[in-house]
Amino acid sequence: MIEKNPGICPMLNASSGTAKNLIEKIKSEIMRNSLVKRDLIWLELTGCSGNIISLLNGSNPDFKFLITNMVNLIYNNSLMAAEGEAALDALVNKTGSDYILAVEGAISTKNNGLYNIIGRWKGEPLTALKAVQLLGDRASHVIAVGACATHGGVSAARPNPAECVSVQSILKRKVIKLPGCPCHPDWFLGTLAHILLYGEPELDDRDRHLLFYSMLIHDRCPRRSYFDNGVFATRLGEKTCMFKLGCRGPVTRIDCPVRQWNSYVNWPIRDDTPCIGCAMFGFPDSMEPFISYDTTRKR
Amino acid sequence: MIKSEKTICQRMKQIIEESESNIKMLFKMPCIYARTSVLFELSANTAELNELCSQLIENENRQVQPTQSNITIEQLSQFTGKNGNPAYVAVNGIVYDVTNNAAWAAATHFGLTAGKDLTDEFASCHAGHSILDKLKVVGKLI
Repeated sequence: MIEKNPGICPMLNASSGTAKNLIEKIKSEIMRNSLVKRDLIWLELTGCSGNIISLLNGSNPDFKFLITNMVNLIYNNSLMAAEGEAALDALVNKTGSDYILAVEGAISTKNNGLYNIIGRWKGEPLTALKAVQLLGDRASHVIAVGACATHGGVSAARPNPAECVSVQSILKRKVIKLPGCPCHPDWFLGTLAHILLYGEPELDDRDRHLLFYSMLIHDRCPRRSYFDNGVFATRLGEKTCMFKLGCRGPVTRIDCPVRQWNSYVNWPIRDDTPCIGCAMFGFPDSMEPFISYDTTRKR
Repeated sequence: MIKSEKTICQRMKQIIEESESNIKMLFKMPCIYARTSVLFELSANTAELNELCSQLIENENRQVQPTQSNITIEQLSQFTGKNGNPAYVAVNGIVYDVTNNAAWAAATHFGLTAGKDLTDEFASCHAGHSILDKLKVVGKLI
């Protein structure tokens, strides 16, 4: 790779392939029968379920590989065959054993969590709040997946009628945070693979997985030279820097420019859409306005 | 903390000496890993030089400040980055230009808008960080 592209930094090249390398490592460990499958519980709480949909779109590996080779998927609101109390049986019976907990969606706290009931257990409503309290403390690892789970996200946006909060606000323990709206399949699968192989990954000071969240979008943006030279787009569709239209790439820490989306084919900026900072804490309220035309272009 | 011009120049000289010695080493170094490590040091040196240059410029700006306009809060409110006006914000009595600052896309920053005194907001997020040194000073808030 270095010989073919002498102008590309080998360290940055290596970092963009790290998630893939982790998955390759998982595959070889599985072949050697030395990897123990762990149980995974995926709770969908107050949100749009976009993160599980995003995960289903994963391609390296795909969802089938995840649930057949890496983990036993014990519970997921959308995907499991069981329903009603039988589904909740699977959930509640896990509380005494080893499992990894992934949570998408925020936790509604108004009226003791009654704004989001995920099922009924022995005639009593099981709220999102209670489910997280029940399962969060006993899990070996808790992964908050997507914007709502990591910091409240869209569910906690003003005026926040259901008084939604992040998973961390409810649990007094380490919560690995994978912000994004939605979370890229690689960010979750790479984190899960790391836990299975080596345990908790290296996190930054806000508990984000450093493997994916160490660079700003601005750092690797293909339109960076336009920014540096002050060449700014005046409307959508122009191929120059969208900073003046309100692009949040300079404040958003994630690897979208090198990873890209939908099986690595494209991402917003390449498609002439400014970054709206969906992988940054505070999204969406703190990232608005998403687009702005009334700006100053010259000093 | 504002460093004196003398302190900055002394540090710059020190960095240049270190860099020259590193460059000499690079010519003689056969191991690519050691070379990479030295190159990273050189890269850190240039970054620090860049930072020090910014501080010198900043010092210069501060010195000419008395001749620059004093800006009232009403005047500041015009500099919103809209309608062709630049984007200014005030922190601790100093007015800064954020028109082309990367973190102020469309003259907004994490829900904040330009044209205001953001002293409290700055303190709640960036206390102890030296990021103000990199901004152009345009005047004093009165």
